Amino acid sequence: MNFDMELFLQAMIHRSPGYIPEHLQLSLIPLFLAVSIALPAAVLVTRPGYRQYAAHVMAFFNAGQTIPPLAVIAVFFPFLGLGYGPALFALTIYALLPIARSSIAAISTVPEDVRDAALGMGMTPVDVLLRVELPLSLPTIMAGVKTAAVLTVSTAVLAALVGGKGMGAIIFAGINFFRPELVLAGTIYIGLLSIILERLLSVVEWFLTPPHMKAARSR
Amino acid sequence: MIQLEHISKRFSGVARPAVDQLSLTVEKGKISVFVGPSGCGKTTILRMINRLVEPDEGTIFIDGKNILQMNPPLLRRTIGYVIQQVGLLPHRTIGQNISLVPELLGWPREKTARKVRELLEMTGLPPEEFESKYPYQLSGGQAQRVGVARALAADPPIMLMDEPFAAVDPIIRMHLQDEFLRVQQHIRKTICFVTHDISEAIKIGDHLVILNEGRLVQSGTPIEILTHPSNDFVSSLIGDDRGSKILDLIRCEGLMDPQAPLVDFPKDNGSRVQAVWPVKAALERMMKNNTDEVMVCREDQPAGILSWNGIKAHINRISGEKQ
Repeated sequence: MNFDMELFLQAMIHRSPGYIPEHLQLSLIPLFLAVSIALPAAVLVTRPGYRQYAAHVMAFFNAGQTIPPLAVIAVFFPFLGLGYGPALFALTIYALLPIARSSIAAISTVPEDVRDAALGMGMTPVDVLLRVELPLSLPTIMAGVKTAAVLTVSTAVLAALVGGKGMGAIIFAGINFFRPELVLAGTIYIGLLSIILERLLSVVEWFLTPPHMKAARSR
Repeated sequence: MIQLEHISKRFSGVARPAVDQLSLTVEKGKISVFVGPSGCGKTTILRMINRLVEPDEGTIFIDGKNILQMNPPLLRRTIGYVIQQVGLLPHRTIGQNISLVPELLGWPREKTARKVRELLEMTGLPPEEFESKYPYQLSGGQAQRVGVARALAADPPIMLMDEPFAAVDPIIRMHLQDEFLRVQQHIRKTICFVTHDISEAIKIGDHLVILNEGRLVQSGTPIEILTHPSNDFVSSLIGDDRGSKILDLIRCEGLMDPQAPLVDFPKDNGSRVQAVWPVKAALERMMKNNTDEVMVCREDQPAGILSWNGIKAHINRISGEKQ
């Protein structure tokens, strides 16, 4: 198969960029939804009295990860149909696990003596969560969010298969018409999007990291 | 004054109750030490006083008020709490850590800042150097000083201290204990102090509460307990060296012979001790000078002679009581 440079450049410059906003939507909306589900769930299962459920919740999120996004769409197809909505749904399920896992790990590794002292000083449980547990957990939670972001950007390609559009459209067009130029162009944009998103989230993470951890990192 | 009345606590999955029908009174302005082997319930009792653990049965009164009817966070803000692992908030500076309770109580910022500096100075940590440091930059001993300062910040009448000096090395521990006793001379807090170390208990305590398997075994002043242990458990907890432990607690004037002739005694300071010093200090003097006798003085005035034989007789008398 010979490589058509002109087609490749045309795909890079004219065809692919149009899919970027769509693809970002397909990645960021599930990411946002996944954070808003996984973080409260993680907070809930790390409360005293619910800790015994932590393993079950993790099992649920793990299951979410083992099912391929396409299979999720297939399972929910009778209820949700094809298209943008089911794609968002499947991607959200997919992004849940890394965020939930890192959040549960982060909150439950806040040292018990710190929690104990904070309560003993007269902080309310809400104070302890907002002013002690979450600030100390944020760097680890953000690590999970970054993983999920990269995962979602690349998995969102599959959305095109069920009519969810995005950068997948150009990649699958390339596969269907045996045009590696299109596949390559789409893949490069997916890679760039992943890297840029990851870097942006790293900047956010840096601002959320408590000062003592920054110092520990730069040492 | 803190009163515990018929307190019981059973943890799920443990057959024996952690605390079993315990009643005791902690006096105002005194250091009461809860001492016993691990698992005797001492920490559980302490944590029930600030309601980090809720008793299954019984009531706890502080100055006549039933604390089980109070709001736990509000109650805790009036009780200082110091734990072995210190538990400083790692993401806050030392100054912010100390101002935790004043902040919760809504103190004006200036008042809090003044208090933080005052406490840092009192605990021997220069504020200009330490106030903006983070906990990871402190040594174990410094961290525990901050822990004590944090507990004292809102000037609570009661302090709960759970093995506060157990995690630091012996030299620092001795230092912290001495400092703590010096500070307590001024602040006169009602202190509940938990330790498994009987020597620490004897050194620190005005009143000892000896616990075993969730029950009170004996309580009294250190001297009472050392001279009259109520049973074998107490004797073995005190150890075989209770005779010499007592030497830390009695003053030279208690064992000296006031009638002894004071003439031809060397005038140098090396062989003089003060009447209020513990007998142990006199023993050290004797060993250092290789003599059997030292002169006991009140300020500059000679008051009597303390001799090795006198000390020995006293130890034998105490140890002999048991046989």
